[in-house]
Amino acid sequence: MMQWTSFVQKAQSLIDPANFTLPTLTSTDRNPSKASLFRQQFRLPDSQNPLQEIAAELILPIPHTSSSTSSGDQPRNLDRAGNRYAGRLHLSERFICFTTQPTSFVPSATHSVSTHWAGQTNGTGPFGNGFTLPLCCVRRVERLNSLSHVFSLALTTWNGALGKQQSPGFIPQRFTIQLVGSRQACERFCDGLKKGLRECMKEIESLRVVVNDCYSEYLLSGAKSKGQDGDNTEVRQPPDAGLGMIFRYPGDARKLRDRSKMRLWGEYFRENGRNATLIRQPTFHKLIRVGLPNRLRGEIWELSSGSLYLRLRSPNLYTETLSKFSGRESLAIDEIEKDLNRSLPEYAGFQSEEGIGRLRRVLTAYSWTNAEIGYCQAMNIVVAALLIYMSEAQAFFLLSVLCDRLLPGYYSTTMYGTLLDQKVFESLVEKTMPVLWDHLTKSDVQLSVVSLPWFLSLYINSMPLVFAFRVLDVFFLEGPKVLFQVGLAILRINGEELLDIQDDGSFISVLKSYFSRLDESAHPRSENPKLRAITRFQELMVVAFKEFSGITHQTITEQREKHKDAVLENIESFAKRTSIRNLGPDSKKLGMDDLGVIYDRFYEVLYEHQQRQRLLDEEKKRQQRKRVERTSILGPPVDREVGRVGLGPSPTHMDYDAFRDFLAATAKWAVGDTPGSSRKESNVEQSANSFRGFGKSLAWNNKSEPADHEFMQRLFRKWSTEPSEGLSLQNVVNGLARLKGPRDIMNNINYFFDLYDDNGNGTVDREGILRMSEALLFLSRRGFDGAITPSEPLEEVGERDRFEQDKLSTDERFLGSVSSFIRRCFEYADPSNPEGKATQERKDTDTEEATEKLDAFAIGDDDEEEDLIDIADEAKPEPSDSKKQNSDTQHNRGASEAANPALDPNNPLHITLPTFRMVILADELLEQFFDTFFPQSFRLSDQSLPAAKLTSLSSNLTTFSNINTPKPHTNAAAGATVAGASGGIVPPGKGLRGVLDNIVSDGIRMAAEVKKRMDEAQRELERNALSRPQEDDEEDDEEDYDPRSGTSAPPTIVGGISSWGAGAYGADPERRSVRDTDRDLLEGAEVVSIHKKEDTSLLDEKEEHQHAAEGSSSRQQGQSSSHSQNDGNVVSKVEFES
Amino acid sequence: MSESTSTNTPKPSSSVKLVLLGEAAVGKSSLVLRFVNNDFQENKEPTIGAAFLTQKCSLPTRTIKFEIWDTAGQERFASLAPMYYRNAQAALVVYDVTKPSSLTKAKHWVAELQRQASPGIVIALVGNKLDLTNDGNEASGEPQADGEQQPPAATADGDDAAGEPQEEQDATPGDARKVSTREASSYADEEGLLFFETSAKTGVNVVEVFTAIANAIPESSLKSGRGAGAGTGQTTLGGGRPAEDSRVNLGDRSTATAKEGCAC
Ligand SMILES: Nc1nc2c(ncn2[C@@H]2O[C@H](COP(=O)(O)OP(=O)(O)OP(=O)(O)O)[C@@H](O)[C@H]2O)c(=O)[nH]1
Ligand SMILES: [Mg+2]
Repeated sequence: MMQWTSFVQKAQSLIDPANFTLPTLTSTDRNPSKASLFRQQFRLPDSQNPLQEIAAELILPIPHTSSSTSSGDQPRNLDRAGNRYAGRLHLSERFICFTTQPTSFVPSATHSVSTHWAGQTNGTGPFGNGFTLPLCCVRRVERLNSLSHVFSLALTTWNGALGKQQSPGFIPQRFTIQLVGSRQACERFCDGLKKGLRECMKEIESLRVVVNDCYSEYLLSGAKSKGQDGDNTEVRQPPDAGLGMIFRYPGDARKLRDRSKMRLWGEYFRENGRNATLIRQPTFHKLIRVGLPNRLRGEIWELSSGSLYLRLRSPNLYTETLSKFSGRESLAIDEIEKDLNRSLPEYAGFQSEEGIGRLRRVLTAYSWTNAEIGYCQAMNIVVAALLIYMSEAQAFFLLSVLCDRLLPGYYSTTMYGTLLDQKVFESLVEKTMPVLWDHLTKSDVQLSVVSLPWFLSLYINSMPLVFAFRVLDVFFLEGPKVLFQVGLAILRINGEELLDIQDDGSFISVLKSYFSRLDESAHPRSENPKLRAITRFQELMVVAFKEFSGITHQTITEQREKHKDAVLENIESFAKRTSIRNLGPDSKKLGMDDLGVIYDRFYEVLYEHQQRQRLLDEEKKRQQRKRVERTSILGPPVDREVGRVGLGPSPTHMDYDAFRDFLAATAKWAVGDTPGSSRKESNVEQSANSFRGFGKSLAWNNKSEPADHEFMQRLFRKWSTEPSEGLSLQNVVNGLARLKGPRDIMNNINYFFDLYDDNGNGTVDREGILRMSEALLFLSRRGFDGAITPSEPLEEVGERDRFEQDKLSTDERFLGSVSSFIRRCFEYADPSNPEGKATQERKDTDTEEATEKLDAFAIGDDDEEEDLIDIADEAKPEPSDSKKQNSDTQHNRGASEAANPALDPNNPLHITLPTFRMVILADELLEQFFDTFFPQSFRLSDQSLPAAKLTSLSSNLTTFSNINTPKPHTNAAAGATVAGASGGIVPPGKGLRGVLDNIVSDGIRMAAEVKKRMDEAQRELERNALSRPQEDDEEDDEEDYDPRSGTSAPPTIVGGISSWGAGAYGADPERRSVRDTDRDLLEGAEVVSIHKKEDTSLLDEKEEHQHAAEGSSSRQQGQSSSHSQNDGNVVSKVEFES
Repeated sequence: MSESTSTNTPKPSSSVKLVLLGEAAVGKSSLVLRFVNNDFQENKEPTIGAAFLTQKCSLPTRTIKFEIWDTAGQERFASLAPMYYRNAQAALVVYDVTKPSSLTKAKHWVAELQRQASPGIVIALVGNKLDLTNDGNEASGEPQADGEQQPPAATADGDDAAGEPQEEQDATPGDARKVSTREASSYADEEGLLFFETSAKTGVNVVEVFTAIANAIPESSLKSGRGAGAGTGQTTLGGGRPAEDSRVNLGDRSTATAKEGCAC
């Protein structure tokens, strides 16, 4: 009834949220790194790191304008120094920064020292007084040797010297820095500086380009040339200072006193340098607070936000991006297109193609560089506003700084940052205006509903533009806290009226009417003309920055931290709910709880993999000892946080490896038998533990490696609709829904058959049949948890032993069932047609391909088996080899075929689905297997595997040898038995080394085991094919069905699962007798277990060989890690008599 | 706005919180603008977060003051939606009859509301931009277009609204319609939604939607009108004077007046 498929995509896009970053948070450490604090304070690009720092004093010369100067006067000027500032000098790869803020980013600095700037900054902004100087701007550094005990440097910059011409009276910018510290420290700093200077020299050309786009250059050169000849007319072309130059700037320039502001800035630039070489003195901050002049607004925004430094790094990125992606389409572009006509339509520039074109290009270019954000409504409004004052390229970089740093997570696909900051804002209101807050709560007015657009579009469409820009002026300098301060001030100023409102409607109207009268006098009735002259907007600024001066960056950071989890959880539950609801009709076969479990597990696994990958990458980089600089200077910040649905775009598809982990968390049989330590990334695991949000649930994952079996690969391929992309949530849900839906044995049988119907023609060939049987063994190797109950226990046993007894028989019998499965399949198979030659060839190649790809377990071949045993006997292989060895044991098809007439490819055969069904249904256990066990083995909400149990899983692989034995519980015993189990390779008690060797040999043994088993199976088949039909035995079993046994299996024996029991085979050729036993078993002969006493007796040395051969049923990758850990219950023995 | 059918004796007034949901650019804001202001703008700014407007609707026995939350439609704003539909008594889930994907999205919202919003929420499924279809062209001459809003009695049969307008008509070749009336209305039937096809541009059926909703709100769930003075029909923010009443919104109120209400 619904169009589910497109739902799915929607859901995907919803939970597929965007780039997110809180500048102050990293995934590993909730305290921001020193480097990121450093970058924040000085607004530096992500590539910069604090390399050196030293206490210093900045000594500025007496302004040139106040003394008639010539270059000769310079030194004297220096002597008669102007302002002096004490502070710290910081050096990064490409910047030298001085600030009066006493922050420090050296490793030993405490967090509070590193964040000091975030506290009360008294209007100086985070970077205080001082400078942030790209090293390429430094023209010369001189060591002044005025006083021997003072270490002074004189810096001359390129300020004003990069223009096309220089006026004759040009005076270079030059100032002095006195380093305060030991001689050694000073020298070290100077060395660092020298190095940096050398490396940055080549950037001067970029600097020239960037600087020439700055209006200040034009302003100063223009002013100068006014007094001179018109010979430098070329310089006259003013740089692009936004649409305002064409369509006028908003507001009345006279009322804004634009001209005098311009003059003041001109003066400031002349004294303190301009754009990249500007020095911040108190006047700088004051000039910003009173509002920027139109033509300089863009440039100062660029400077105070630091986007200038991004542009300096790659001046052509904007145009390059546009041309690189020109003509390409994207969802973001569609969305942008929808909104172009709807952005600040009241401004003339955006009713014109010119303005719309600029807006389109900037938004589009950004959506390409940051595909995770793409485009979010409200960005159109913000960018439109920026474009009034700056060029496209400038706006492009500023938008990047906005999204990455100033408004973290605001525009992400979950809008997490927006929601978080609303929460923060609400809590600040509650704190600072409790009475108002109470009233709002009582009136059921939801504050954030009103304030959200303030933050999301930076007051631009809440206040008249001129005022919104004034807020932006301060915002770019002082950061996000400004938005909060202004918001609080709005509420404070309107507090009284707001206390009267009763509902959302009146609340909104009070505020709207306030905004519409911001230009009116704040004290219209005042006697004092000065007071009368104060506008409501001025009042707002005063209240915001004086009364709420206590709201600092620190405050915001802390509050964000506090509310973050709740906000994320909200978003995540919304996303989860939505995507689950939209999973399509198939998903309805599963319960809500199940879907919830799948959803959680799916994303846990994905994030865990993503995280692991990330750490691996980092590690790789570290090993290459290369601080890799980002190729694109834009895009997600390096220290952004990832790993939660709520945070932004998540991976949406799992690859096969992730799928294995998913299965391992879902089905016991998918848990591997290898120690988790075989994962190379031990350091990764460590951090994955601290990985927020999933740490607890994935903890087990660090210990148990998922299995890797051909069956799992088939499942993966079967489930995926787009194998190259991997599995989406939808795929996984559909896949599980097929299996876990309403109980339907026919469905399950068909499904299983389909998995092996490689050609899709409804047949499975010989190879497939063998693989099916492998899979049956693989799936059952950890026992059935009572899902399968044979008709009757073979022996009457006491109550107490009942369970063990059942288990024994079940496992054994299942083994028998599988073997008769093979036999019957071949028996009832149809011969493939005469023209089968060709078909066969095709199949062969198919199989070969498959074999290459798959790490399947082997179908035996004798020679190789012998080899393996030799290796095992030597007990020398390195641990890391075990896996390889295992894959080396890929069966040699040719050999086994030669050895086994039944496998002769010249007699190709196949079974069809009806045959397969018949064969399954003919066997009680197989029937039960498909009816209950197989679907139940995928555990969702019904019985998710508790971590603890899972961990111990691998240690509980039941072999035939331990089936009937109570488990020893001490580690010591475990160690001993493990060693004992190593088939005489290492004597018991040989310690760690022994255990290690055991693990290795286990893997090898296991491989040998498998081959042997298949070999046996084939042999048996041959025999059976030749001789007696043997159904009788099984049918007897069926007749003897004992209803009691159906209920006798204890429900919760997760730990003690038995497997198909690869026990009791001699790996050693000398132990043919054991093999015979095995063969008999496969033939369905009765198995007799030996009781405990005998078990123990069997434990002694004469059984060593048997131990060696005994596949601890780990078929794939050797024994599991827990072997060495908590393996209290491993190997004891059972002997089978034929 | 036009004088209401209400007499000068004040009828009981209650406010109803109504939320609009639906894909971006299907015309949610335009519908509200049409309903509240009887106006239409070709270039309507996208809604950021949400917009709030009020409008009164006069029924024979009472006046309903709609507190309308018009939400942003872009996909990523979806996670903000719960904030807006919280406590809503009615919802308009809007799709665009020329855009099938928007119906899908609408269904998604219906499901979300049914599960997450206040129980008993009245939901209307609205297919907008009817003027772009052949049906819409024929209908465009209807009197609703010029703002003569009809007394609610005229559409009082809106309770079986699912079957109401244009139900029998299906997409005809040549027009821009991509979602057939039948498809949407049968879905609405299944889910128990009111169903309308509208045009914010011409005004067809716009008032009817709101009236039908007003009628469908069970008397029992009506709260007293709060802040009766807060919104005139004109957009959200006229200098609304809050009422004196200091009670929390759940109290019964009889003081609310209908006289400035823009009747529908
Ligand atoms: N032809 C026609 N166009 C319409 C109609 N209603 C809205 N539109 C146009 O559709 C576009 C989007 O309308 P909006 O009302 O802004 O859509 P919205 O659903 O509020 O969009 P968001 O706020 O982004 O979620 C505008 O250009 C409208 O002019 C209609 O009934 N007929
Ligand atoms: Mg809208």
